[in-house]
Amino acid sequence: MADEVPRSWRDPDLLIKALPTVLLQTTCFLAPLVMTFLLTFQRSRNFQLQWSWDLWTWTDVFSKPHYWTILGHTIFMAAACVAICLIIAFPIAYGLATRFKAWENEIKVLITFAFITDATLKIYGWALFLDKNGMANYTLSSIGLPPEMVAFLYTDWATLLGMVYSLSAFAIFTLYLSISNIDRSLILAAYDAGAGKFRAHWEVTLPLCKPGIWAGSVLIFLLSVGAFLEPKVLGGGKSPMSAELIRQTFETRVNWPLGAALTLVLMVVSVFIVLLFSRLIGLKRAGLAA
Amino acid sequence: MTKTWYSDLPQYYQRQIKAAGLDKAGLTRRRLLKGMAATAGVAMAGLSSRPSQAASQMTYMCWEGYNDPRIIDPFRKANDVEIAFDLIVDSPGGFAKLQAGASREVDLVSSDMPWITRLGPAGLAQELNPADYADVYATFYDQFKPPFEPLLNEGKTIGVATRWGWVGPCVNTDLTKPEIWKSYDPVFDDANKGKICVMDWGDWPILPMALHAGIDPYQELDQNALEEIRKVLRAMFKNTRTLVADLTQAQKGLLDGSLLGCIGAGSYLTSAVRKQGHKNIIAVVPEPKNGLKQGIIWVEATAILKDTDQPELAQKLLKHVVSKESGHVLSLLDSTCNVVTNKAVEALYTPEERDILQVDYMWTAWDNSQMHRIAPNIDDMLAIWQEELAAAQ
Repeated sequence: MADEVPRSWRDPDLLIKALPTVLLQTTCFLAPLVMTFLLTFQRSRNFQLQWSWDLWTWTDVFSKPHYWTILGHTIFMAAACVAICLIIAFPIAYGLATRFKAWENEIKVLITFAFITDATLKIYGWALFLDKNGMANYTLSSIGLPPEMVAFLYTDWATLLGMVYSLSAFAIFTLYLSISNIDRSLILAAYDAGAGKFRAHWEVTLPLCKPGIWAGSVLIFLLSVGAFLEPKVLGGGKSPMSAELIRQTFETRVNWPLGAALTLVLMVVSVFIVLLFSRLIGLKRAGLAA
Repeated sequence: MTKTWYSDLPQYYQRQIKAAGLDKAGLTRRRLLKGMAATAGVAMAGLSSRPSQAASQMTYMCWEGYNDPRIIDPFRKANDVEIAFDLIVDSPGGFAKLQAGASREVDLVSSDMPWITRLGPAGLAQELNPADYADVYATFYDQFKPPFEPLLNEGKTIGVATRWGWVGPCVNTDLTKPEIWKSYDPVFDDANKGKICVMDWGDWPILPMALHAGIDPYQELDQNALEEIRKVLRAMFKNTRTLVADLTQAQKGLLDGSLLGCIGAGSYLTSAVRKQGHKNIIAVVPEPKNGLKQGIIWVEATAILKDTDQPELAQKLLKHVVSKESGHVLSLLDSTCNVVTNKAVEALYTPEERDILQVDYMWTAWDNSQMHRIAPNIDDMLAIWQEELAAAQ
């Protein structure tokens, strides 16, 4: 078998093959991004865009702490969502891949149905369930517990609940794929070497799930930082996250340059965090490919 | 030989254009877009075997409700016109869309009055000659007859007022006495912590709070005045249970008692619930405080866009929208019910409908209210709102 020739970006064949993708990325992703960036150098006054070409918007972004407070809150909520989703998803994915093989397809269909149900419907459903006069409080009071025991609608906890509910399927499926691909003989080898169940799980299964954990985490994190409906409907809008801040800036304040700048800040910070974590957990490209 | 818009094209295409009759029509961007829309419409209609046969097309940008079939269908049939709707969800957004180029496709627009007036200086709206609308104004309440100052731009009328209402605390009278809401004080009462709902509707909740702080938000404000507004918003957020943009969420909260009062809305919120039979939900206007009226009157208006290629039809549609019959429908929609500017509509109301719309209260509300306009410092106030909301978390 011939040795693989390392491909260079100077290779004309490679360039031609990559051209459609490059064109697509340039027109559909890079060009709007550049336009968004250029918009940040304009101003808005009395709901009207003014072509000023200055740094007023960026000065505003970096001088007002509340933008960063909301961004910090968003990152915290997204990180919490990732952690909770992983904790919930791991046993489910593990069970699916190892213990419940007989009902594997039925369970997957159920999870998929819950996942593809319209997000608005799900979130309003939770709002009704957690409402003062909702099912949760009704059930608690009917068994003799004090009324309004479930009083976390319009709190960050409710927001988190909605986010976890909406996004946990991403973790379940990525982990399920990872666990399914683990070579069972590696775990058996660990047992043979004297490892207990916990140690084999901790030192063999979990590290081999790393790509699944990582892929799920990245998906959930990036979708969480853009969460919009959950903080508004379940969180009561009092504790806005970045997506809501951006919506307010575009729609209510009609300040498109500021909205564009806040969007870019959110994108850059999110990508930076993802890159930072990929470096921190030592996940090399080769490892991901494996 | 006269140069036409198509004379630079190859002969083949020129023949096709002549054959299609497009040479006589003259192809403008507007006509091309409408033609494309009509073609798409016919293609879609073809699927349902119901081709569109209307003689002309119009585009109407409006709030939901103005497109009610009971309003539009009679006009459509009488004038053989197909009307496309561009529904707006917020007035600034609608204005921004028109400014961004939609004014080339839209013929008529119904939106909040300040934004309609703004179409004048933006060069987007036709100036109306009140004499052409004398028949319409003849049945209007005197308050909305020309010269109606809020709809004037440099002395020229920009639009015709259509629907109106008032902004004030919305309360459930089973849980609180309306007399308590003669001022906005209950919003800041510690006893009401976690019971106040604030509408997340841009400047609407900010303006009443500014008035409560003794500041007229419709005047140019200095830094001290803005700081006072900041303080009152901060205090309001302390007692706020939820900020809602969805009308039904606020209505439900008022009905089930989880919310004591809603700030930033008014008759727009309460009337639809009252129509469902919940007469305990009312919108009141606080009494003037130190000579400053505490309520706010909002008005919706309709304007004809300058670029319309259907000026006569647009004028007809405008007159139709404010007519007695349309006004009655418009004032009693399922989603929201509000009084209209046409006095003749009042004669059509049943006692029940008068009660729903709080008709007997409307002039009290008017007398105790400011007329809503664009606040000069709205950018600053919205920025303060965002800052205080972030600080509240």
